[in-house]
Amino acid sequence: MNAGMGFKLSHLQAVLLFALLISIAFGFLSRRRPIERVKYIVWSLFLFLLIGVGIGWAMYPFSR
Amino acid sequence: MTDETAAPAAPPQDSRRETMAYVIGVAGWLVPGLGHALMKMWGRAATCFLTVGVLVILGAGMRGNLFSSRGNDAFDSLGYFADLGTGSFYLVARSLETNGADVSHAGGDYGTRFLATAGVLNLLAALHAYEAARGRKA
Repeated sequence: MNAGMGFKLSHLQAVLLFALLISIAFGFLSRRRPIERVKYIVWSLFLFLLIGVGIGWAMYPFSR
Repeated sequence: MTDETAAPAAPPQDSRRETMAYVIGVAGWLVPGLGHALMKMWGRAATCFLTVGVLVILGAGMRGNLFSSRGNDAFDSLGYFADLGTGSFYLVARSLETNGADVSHAGGDYGTRFLATAGVLNLLAALHAYEAARGRKA
């Protein structure tokens, strides 16, 4: 695969991918049972997005 | 000091287990997921391999900054150690990034974070494998 072609992701796509991948890794590393893993992944993903979008909006007044 | 007050020597099984734990930890660092695979934790092994791999491919594809040992300041050195955390995937990222880094746009900046996060995540996974091999609850 040639990465020279590059990936063009929007801010939201990049944050979504990042949050999803890290949440899955955390869920599998920190929990044993499948149902607990799913709960952890969903909760972690929700918090990642909430805090990420929240900080983004908090910075909005200073962006211009 | 008499023999009775001397600290008891570690049993051979404990020292062997400790050695195996080190081997598993280093293996997990070199190849993401290998540490868990050696302990037959297949789900965790596959997850570590895939998440670290995807983060590295995305980070390199977004032309993130892959730090080298010839850094200019402390932040470059920290970035280098974070990137090195991916183990052998550091070389994969280097081979993928044929056009070099481009952090003049947001995508490149995200790519830098993806690469550093992949390294730190792999270090965390390797430490987890090491602790599990030592018999800690994992």
